[in-house]
Amino acid sequence: MSDKVSNLIDITERESAADDIWTDFRPIERITLELAQRYHYSLGKQSRFFIELQNRRFFATACGSCGRVCAPPRPLCPACLQPTNWRELTGEGRLETWSTLHFSPGTNADVAALQTPYVLAYVLLDGADTLFPHVLRAEGESLRRGMRVRVAYNEGPVSHPIHLMVFVLA
Amino acid sequence: MPAAPVIAAVGCTKIASEHRDCNARDLLADALLDLLADAGMDGLDAVEHGLASYESDHFNMQMTLGAILHDTIGMTPKPGLRIEGGGATGALALRTAWAHIQSGLCDSILVYGVEKNGRGVSSRTANQLFALSADVDWETAIGGTYTGFYAAMMRAHMAQYGTREEHFAHVAARNRGNAAFNPIAQKPMDISIEDVLRSRPVAEPYKLLDCSLLSDGAACILLASEAWAREHVPAFEARPPIFFTGTGCGTDTMRLGDRYPHITNFRAKQQAAQAAYAMADIGDPLREIDVAELYDSYSGVEIQAVEDLGWVARGNGGAAVADGAFDLDGALPVNTSGGLLGRGAPVGATGILQAMEVAQQLWGLADQRRQVAGAKRGLTDTHAGIASISVVNIFERHD
Repeated sequence: MSDKVSNLIDITERESAADDIWTDFRPIERITLELAQRYHYSLGKQSRFFIELQNRRFFATACGSCGRVCAPPRPLCPACLQPTNWRELTGEGRLETWSTLHFSPGTNADVAALQTPYVLAYVLLDGADTLFPHVLRAEGESLRRGMRVRVAYNEGPVSHPIHLMVFVLA
Repeated sequence: MPAAPVIAAVGCTKIASEHRDCNARDLLADALLDLLADAGMDGLDAVEHGLASYESDHFNMQMTLGAILHDTIGMTPKPGLRIEGGGATGALALRTAWAHIQSGLCDSILVYGVEKNGRGVSSRTANQLFALSADVDWETAIGGTYTGFYAAMMRAHMAQYGTREEHFAHVAARNRGNAAFNPIAQKPMDISIEDVLRSRPVAEPYKLLDCSLLSDGAACILLASEAWAREHVPAFEARPPIFFTGTGCGTDTMRLGDRYPHITNFRAKQQAAQAAYAMADIGDPLREIDVAELYDSYSGVEIQAVEDLGWVARGNGGAAVADGAFDLDGALPVNTSGGLLGRGAPVGATGILQAMEVAQQLWGLADQRRQVAGAKRGLTDTHAGIASISVVNIFERHD
C-alpha cells in the first residue's frame, strides 16, 4: 500500500482465471472521489405555490380554457398550451393510493429527518383533477382508500419549502 | 420501406453487483471482444456508425461518456451519438439504430450499452441519484423514491383488481429461478413464494425480493442491413437471420398523480405495444409471440406488463402469472434470462441485454434448460421511470 495517495481505498491483486486476457493489467487501484454542488435553484412559475405555504394557503392552477385543475400546479396547460391561473383549494381531500416506505433516500435535511417507516401518499384534493404526492403522517396499517386527509402546515425552517406542509388524517 | 435490419452479432459481459476491476470503458471492451468472437470478425473497420447507450453521468462522474466509449473501441472518426431515455435507454438506442438503417443513413451500426450502477456509490447515494430522475420539485423533494411510486401503483392495482402479493411473489421467485440457467446472470436464486413474502418490506407492498438489482455490465448489438451482414459478418450465414421487424414507443406524464384516474397500469406501454404490433403485423400477440423479455424492475410490474401488452384482460394479469402462463413451460415464456430481478439491470445495457436474450432464443443458442423450443418471434418491453417512456421491440427469425 502507498501513503502517497490520500484518498486511496485499496490496491488489489486479483486472481486470474486460466482464460484471462487481462493478466498484464493487474493490480487494480481504487480511490474515493467526491463531487458536491450547490445550486441557485429557481422554482420558476411554480413559486407562488411554495410562497403561499408560508401563509398556510394551498394553491392549484386552473386552465381557463379546458377547466382542468392541477395540483401540483402547471403554469402551462399541457392540453390547451395556454397559461393557467392560480386557484386556492381548501387543502382537504381523499387518499387514493400510498406506499409505506421503510427506506429513506435522505434527499434533503427534511427527508433525512423523517422517521422510517413513513407513508408516501397520493391525495385527490377537493376541486383538483390530479393526485398530489406528499408524506402522510399516519400509521400505514390504519390507512384505507378514500380516507379523508388534509394539509397541515408548519412554521419551518425547512430545507425545501415543500416541507412547510404535510398530509394528516382529517 | 426497405427490409428490416438484422441482428448481425451480439456480445456482453457477465452482469455483476460489481466489476471492481473494470471502469465503464473496460466493461465495454469486454463486451465488444465478446461480440467480435460471436461475429467471427477481427475488427470494426467495416462498421459505419456507433451508438452509445448509457443513462447516468452521475454514476460515472463523467459527462460525454458516449464519446469516450466510441474512442475506446476505435470507432473514431466514424459518426456516433448517445441516446438516453432512463430505464428505456437500451431499447430506445436499438429503436434509434433501427431508424438509422431504415433511413439509409448507414447499413451497419454498433449499439453499445454500459452502466456501472453497482457498488461505485453507496446504495443510499444510488437511491438519491435515481431519485433525481423523478420530478425533483415535487417527487424527489418530499422523499419519494421509485420503489415507492411503483408500490403505490401496485397498491392501486391490488385495490382495483384484487391482485395479491402472492401473484407478484411468483414473478420474483420464477425470474430468479430462470437466472440459474443463464451463465451471465448476476443473482440466480432458488427461492419460494414464501421466501419472497417473508423478505423485509422496502416500500409496501414491495419487499426486498420484489426489487430488481443494481448492476455493473455492458452489452452490444451489431445491427445491419441483411446484405451488409452477409458480406461482413462471417458468423451470419451459420445461423438463421433475425430481423428487427417492429418497434413502438409511447410516453406518459412524469408524475403518477397527473395520470389520475389511470394509475394502475402503463398507458405508454399500451401505446408502444400497439405501434410495434402494427409494424410487425401481429394481430394476436399472445399466440404470435413465442418468447419475451419484460421490464421487471419490480415483480408486480410484470403483471401490469402482460395486461398492457394486450396478452390478458386488464386485472387478470396476477391470476395468469400465478397460474404459470409465463413460466418456462407456460404458454408464453417471459424473462427466460432471469430478467432485471435475476440477470440484473445495468441500465444503459438492459434493453440491449433483453434483445440479446431474445436473439439467443431465436437462434436456439440459449442454455437448453431455458431454451424455448422452436421460438421464432420475440419481444422486448423496456421502460423509463414508471413508464414515462416505454419501448417495445420485436424480432423475428426467418428460416
